[in-house]
Amino acid sequence: MDNECRRAFNRNSKVKSVNISPVVRSDIKSLTKRRYFFDWKKEFSTELYKLTLKEQNDILGIISLERIPTEWRVHIRLLTVSSENKGSGKIYEGIAGNLLAHAAKIAVNEYGEMACISLRPKSSIVLHYISKYNMNITGTTLSLEVPEILDLINKYEKD
Amino acid sequence: MKKTKKINSEKEAFEFGVDSRYKTNAEADTEALSLMKARLERMKYVTKDQVVKAKLIQLRLKMEDYLKQPVYDNQNHFARFLESYIDAIYSRRIDFAKDINVSPVYLSQIINNHRDPKEEFILKLMIHSEKAFKHIVVFHENIWFQVYFHEKICDTMNRQDVWRPKIEKEVKLTEPIG
Repeated sequence: MDNECRRAFNRNSKVKSVNISPVVRSDIKSLTKRRYFFDWKKEFSTELYKLTLKEQNDILGIISLERIPTEWRVHIRLLTVSSENKGSGKIYEGIAGNLLAHAAKIAVNEYGEMACISLRPKSSIVLHYISKYNMNITGTTLSLEVPEILDLINKYEKD
Repeated sequence: MKKTKKINSEKEAFEFGVDSRYKTNAEADTEALSLMKARLERMKYVTKDQVVKAKLIQLRLKMEDYLKQPVYDNQNHFARFLESYIDAIYSRRIDFAKDINVSPVYLSQIINNHRDPKEEFILKLMIHSEKAFKHIVVFHENIWFQVYFHEKICDTMNRQDVWRPKIEKEVKLTEPIG
């Protein structure tokens, strides 16, 4: 599931091709807390993916995952976009969405019609996730299953 | 003013990141239990059509994964993917055979690896897949051919000990090069 090619948009709505591939040891040095919000070195033992523009090395977003086969679920542990891609002045749209779609693809590839991705954002931003990605809420956990998980995959392949 | 600032910071947090790590195993277990209960309830409303779509998307992802690396495992991947494709859509394989105008025996021989598919069979499969995937997800028209030849290449390179001694004896280079 590495080297997936999808697309993000820059400020002028121009489509850019992106790659999603596994984070490798040589990336870790550049993953500073200042630019990527979390201490990613501590996550290196988990399944980690980075989003870059096609044929470029600069990392624009990162996601760490846990596969839970007994529950047909992929749990998103951490997800972030680089600091210059947040807020109103951000350079690219769709980084988080592409990373979520990547997790969705892993889940569907592994678990087919039983596939599920889950995450637990802060309560203040739960509604953003529900409205933007059509997620279901159970307690403090948001999840996507069939059919919505398929819509997410489709959305980021067509956009 | 304060309210606007709060909304903006919430939006930025939304865009910047999510930390979903569980603090304890007990917390993870409790969440997992209630999530599974809710999911099983929601699954009751998943339609047959949605299940077919999920299976077809899963198949495409597996085919793409297979093409990304050499696989030497003596499995008949083309046949297994074909089997998954037919079983995702049809309840009887004979109906698929009818739809692509081949005999059920011929189809069975391909699935059971008793004969290689002819080019025409793969072309029919390609057209059938175009129709099946049309409203579901992008499905590259050449993927069945890619899978078929990828498997041939992997098998051939993996069985060099079988074919190489005989073939090497039959091949000479008589023109001097370099």
